[in-house]
Amino acid sequence: MTRVGIIGLGRMGMLHMMNCQKIETVKVVAAADSSRKALNKAKAAGVDKLYKDYHNLLNHVSDIDAVVISLPNFLHFECIQLALENGLDVFTEKPMANTVDECHEIVKMAEKSRGKFMVGHCMRFVDAIEKMKKNLERGIIGRLEVATIEEVINGPFSHPRVPAPVSDWWFNPKKSGGGALLDIGYHMIDLFRFFAGDSKVVFSCLDHKFNLPVEDGAIVLLQSSNSSTKGIVNVGWYQQTIFPKYNFRVILHGNAGFLTSDDLVPHNLYLHAVKEGTRNVLRRIVRRKIRPLSYTYYYESFYKELAHFFYCVENDLDPLVSAIDGLRTVELIHEAYEEFQQEPVG
Amino acid sequence: MGSVVSLVRVKRSAEDIIDAVSEAFDLINFEPDASVKSVAIKPNLCYYWDSDTGYTTDPRVVAGIIDYVRERCGEDVDIKVVEADASAMRTKYAFPVLGYEKLAKEKDVELFNLSKDVLVDKTVHVNKREISFRVPQLLLKSDLSINVPKLKIMRATKITCAMKNIFGCIGAPRKVVYHPFLNEAIVGINKILRPHLTIVDGLVALGRFPAKLNLIMASADPFSIDWVASQIMGYKPSRVKYLKMAFNEKVGDPEGVITRGAEIAEFAKLFPKEGLLSTGFLWSLQFQLLKTYKKIVGDIIPPVLEE
Repeated sequence: MTRVGIIGLGRMGMLHMMNCQKIETVKVVAAADSSRKALNKAKAAGVDKLYKDYHNLLNHVSDIDAVVISLPNFLHFECIQLALENGLDVFTEKPMANTVDECHEIVKMAEKSRGKFMVGHCMRFVDAIEKMKKNLERGIIGRLEVATIEEVINGPFSHPRVPAPVSDWWFNPKKSGGGALLDIGYHMIDLFRFFAGDSKVVFSCLDHKFNLPVEDGAIVLLQSSNSSTKGIVNVGWYQQTIFPKYNFRVILHGNAGFLTSDDLVPHNLYLHAVKEGTRNVLRRIVRRKIRPLSYTYYYESFYKELAHFFYCVENDLDPLVSAIDGLRTVELIHEAYEEFQQEPVG
Repeated sequence: MGSVVSLVRVKRSAEDIIDAVSEAFDLINFEPDASVKSVAIKPNLCYYWDSDTGYTTDPRVVAGIIDYVRERCGEDVDIKVVEADASAMRTKYAFPVLGYEKLAKEKDVELFNLSKDVLVDKTVHVNKREISFRVPQLLLKSDLSINVPKLKIMRATKITCAMKNIFGCIGAPRKVVYHPFLNEAIVGINKILRPHLTIVDGLVALGRFPAKLNLIMASADPFSIDWVASQIMGYKPSRVKYLKMAFNEKVGDPEGVITRGAEIAEFAKLFPKEGLLSTGFLWSLQFQLLKTYKKIVGDIIPPVLEE
């Protein structure tokens, strides 16, 4: 049984905590957050050791084997550093740090550490993406020429049912490390690397429609380092969409055909929820393990990435996403920022 | 007694909007007092979605109002565009995001966060309920206050327009505390704050989805505006709870509400009305089903859906 501490109990941290509690080999024993309300929720969920300051959680490492880090971006580096120094297994939300230098340091630390390390590249675990990767590797579209990958959503502007202001750090480039490109473009760039291997930035265009210090939209052209494959990444925070509407798609254009995520994701998420929900009810009746979050389709990827990480921890395997992946993605984002500064458009 | 409500159809160029604003003012025979020295203009900046989504007031409508006021009251009149922080919105972001910083620069007006003003405690009684508000002093002192709402449907109150935009003037950001008795709170704040003029940005209205109505409305009475607006949005005004309550509390009176300019029907046919099953009802139903499923199966509801 892996004893886990959850660091940061915002929306993502809370989801990670709930997901961990569904993994049979994991026990959530501790949680840290500056919000008392969040800690009370963790307590109600059966977490024993609660800390207002995550440093205190990391001072009690004899009680835990692993941590799941979901802090605001600017706190990732220090927290990862402390966890790795203590030999813990570390799962962290992306980006693992805001600067390329810090990411390099994490790579070194992760290599030295006896613990496992994984960055949350959840989009790789979406069912449709897994199927596209398999089909691409089977060669059914021939040689991959161009990948168009896009996600335009509301980003930090999603309006919760109980209204609360967007935290200031989102709009402070020093704390967030960037805007829409770093937030969701990160995943799209990682997906391009997932399909086409390592890459470089050819062109980038950033948007500031919201007149904020961080970009609210970005278009980036990528080129694979070891083939002629190009990638077009289009991301934005500017669209007022509410789940289950989810404006995300990947199209892989090969010389023998194409694959599109639109063909693989459920066309009607309500019907999908009913179907998957019914399956889980039946699984419960026959006392089989349910598939957590499968009814939401997309959110299941958050469960799957954590389940994968803890499977690797239990079986001493290397996780699918390494610190190098985290570093390369941040490097490409910084390349895109620099490219835009050199060649401003509009 | 109700007031005259003007309805003006507008093309969407900046010049046409300015002309439509003037026409809407003229149709209600609005003549600002020559002694006006300070003006507060309150748009609806409830969140960070810009005017094309139907959520917030188009800065071009506010620009038209500024031009009109300067023309009638003189160039040296002190004009402030005001908004208060809300439970989920902060004016420090809403002003730049929604184009108001640019407007303030172009028109040389001040942007003012009502939540940072001196807040005066006021208590009123509505429907036998005592309700306290923290009201920005500026709005009690301005020579001319102009309310610039949007035309939207809302789960809790059916419609949101002039009277609900006044609710947005409450200085304390956490207005969500009033939501359990929102109808009473809307009527209550309208007992305290009475804008001299309301001019509705109906360029894009928000029903089931955003729709270009290309409408500007004006009136000296927020109640009269909402009485007409509810008809555009497909609701019988007497069935809108806060309007009924406002009448009972003598905040407004439908008697004497008349329209001038374009016809209500012209805009009503364009407004994307709520279906038989409201989105609010469907959302609540989905959520209840989800909670039942969670209880039976022991699955997870992502916090983003549950909050």
